[in-house]
Amino acid sequence: MTPDPIPRIHRVLGIETSCDETAAAVVDGGAVIVSSIVSSQIDLHARYGGVVPELAGRAHVELLTPVLAEALEAAGCGTSGTGIDAIAVTYGPGLIGSLLVGVAEAKALALAWDVPFVGVNHLEAHLFASLLEQPDLGWPLVVLLVSGGHTLLVEVSGPGRYRLIGGTVDDAAGEAFDKVARFLGLGYPGGPAIDAIAVDGDPQAFAFPRAFMAEGYDFSFSGLKTSVVNTVRKHPDAATEDVAASFRQAVVDVLVAKARRAARDVGAKALCLAGGVAANSLLRQRVEQACAEDGIGAFLPTRALCTDNAAMVAAAGWWRLANVGASPLTLGADPNLRLVPTA
Amino acid sequence: MNLLAIESATNLVGAALVTDGGSAAERSHQGGRMHAESLAPAIAEVCALSGLTVRDIDAIAVDIGPGLFTGLRVGVATAKALAQGLGLGVLAVSSLDILAAGAQEEAGPGGARTVVVVVDARRGEVFASQYHFDDAVAGIHQAVDPALARQAPPELVTPGGLAESLADRDRGPGESLLIVGDGAVRYRQLLAGVPAADLGLAEHLSSPSPVTLARLALRRMAAGAEPSAPSDLLPDYRREADARINWEQRIPPPGTPGHDRER
Ligand SMILES: [Zn+2]
Repeated sequence: MTPDPIPRIHRVLGIETSCDETAAAVVDGGAVIVSSIVSSQIDLHARYGGVVPELAGRAHVELLTPVLAEALEAAGCGTSGTGIDAIAVTYGPGLIGSLLVGVAEAKALALAWDVPFVGVNHLEAHLFASLLEQPDLGWPLVVLLVSGGHTLLVEVSGPGRYRLIGGTVDDAAGEAFDKVARFLGLGYPGGPAIDAIAVDGDPQAFAFPRAFMAEGYDFSFSGLKTSVVNTVRKHPDAATEDVAASFRQAVVDVLVAKARRAARDVGAKALCLAGGVAANSLLRQRVEQACAEDGIGAFLPTRALCTDNAAMVAAAGWWRLANVGASPLTLGADPNLRLVPTA
Repeated sequence: MNLLAIESATNLVGAALVTDGGSAAERSHQGGRMHAESLAPAIAEVCALSGLTVRDIDAIAVDIGPGLFTGLRVGVATAKALAQGLGLGVLAVSSLDILAAGAQEEAGPGGARTVVVVVDARRGEVFASQYHFDDAVAGIHQAVDPALARQAPPELVTPGGLAESLADRDRGPGESLLIVGDGAVRYRQLLAGVPAADLGLAEHLSSPSPVTLARLALRRMAAGAEPSAPSDLLPDYRREADARINWEQRIPPPGTPGHDRER
């Protein structure tokens, strides 16, 4: 199932700075996490209700040295990079000012230690996150990748082999959570804030629209968000818990229905969650339930591997190095990098 | 000492390596915002040109700005990681000082006395500093460190405001103002109106040069300047971050009429 590794490359240092997490990790053989350090900037962006690009770029420069030092130390590699065989870094998609910091750092380390360097697609890295915890998921599988920046349905027919099935036509799921949480005055990030209050609310209190977008696999959340705003304006005394619970229910209903249909249509052996929104408790519960009913595997990675981290970047980088090869030192950052089908 | 200089504060990005043997290699790329793409290859090339490997570097200097934010981040992140990976410190140098040192080199002994460095800060502003080089201080052939000749910390000003303050400035008899930097190029017409302004070197010295940075850093280290630990090294932005979010806020924040949240 896993491809033959290049014998020389065992330990890969992964670096992730695409959004608001500064992360470094050492992964052995693309499969074993030796160390993984994530420094989140949530507190920095909380008062703005979303990630402020210039603040994120500045914070990455400040956090890069301590995060790298901690990851190397925890892996027993020391600052000289003893035992590191290659460097992998996210070069897109993401915030350009943030991506550039990690790309510059990765290339400098590759020069200092004279080891190969490889650029990794952040979305591909998320798909590899599941393999770190469960290498024997069975193929093909369908991954629902939901985060503050992305909402994707991907068919994965093997490591590094995937086909994009569906995406969002407007807001990402996490973005919808952030915007509604901001509107309801629940704070940032919106997903956990809404999750926390929704447990005390009635999910049937409001019948928010479910945008099933006819037969396709694409998502749309902007109509739902507008409906929440209009409902609260019309019913100013509505309980916030009920609004939050009904909103969360609507988002999860659509995500699960489409993911389930996609899994059935491609004959997937398992349905897999990835991305920060995969930490949502209702989503996890519903996916597990749906997969049990359909008789397929459900894979819900731990929170640490759902959210942005560098272990998934190292794992994806190890696979890329073994199957595609190293990147040139002239590689830049690509904020709009897409997932290229290779199925 | 084999010193690597990293420059990325303006449109010019590049590296210089000055070796023990006194040879100097430089590679740079100007224009098109190619900081991330060009810098690492430039470092590899200056090492190869000098017949050295990256591991032979034993000192690093970097331009910490002020200048282009993303450019500075690429240069500083590169310097930090290279230093961390090689177990070295980094000497941080101001972009304005490097340009002033460049003006000093070009003008030669007895040349420029007063240098005004103007770096484009975008959004209709510039970073500016004035330097007054006095031969009596260091002797005619010895270069004065721009840090000692600088008359005030770098300021963030409008080009109009800068032109006005330069015009109001007291001038010695026959003194001219040598104005350099990419801000001098962009606002040439405005600054040319300043009495005794000399913009003759503005194009040539529009960006700090990697090799000038390397020479200035070597002089400073010879004079006892201590490199910083990589963790202490940060860009000198000299402007607050623009706190805008990447999605337009289409929904009103809480507290808007018609929205009373239960607590
Ligand atoms: Zn992500």
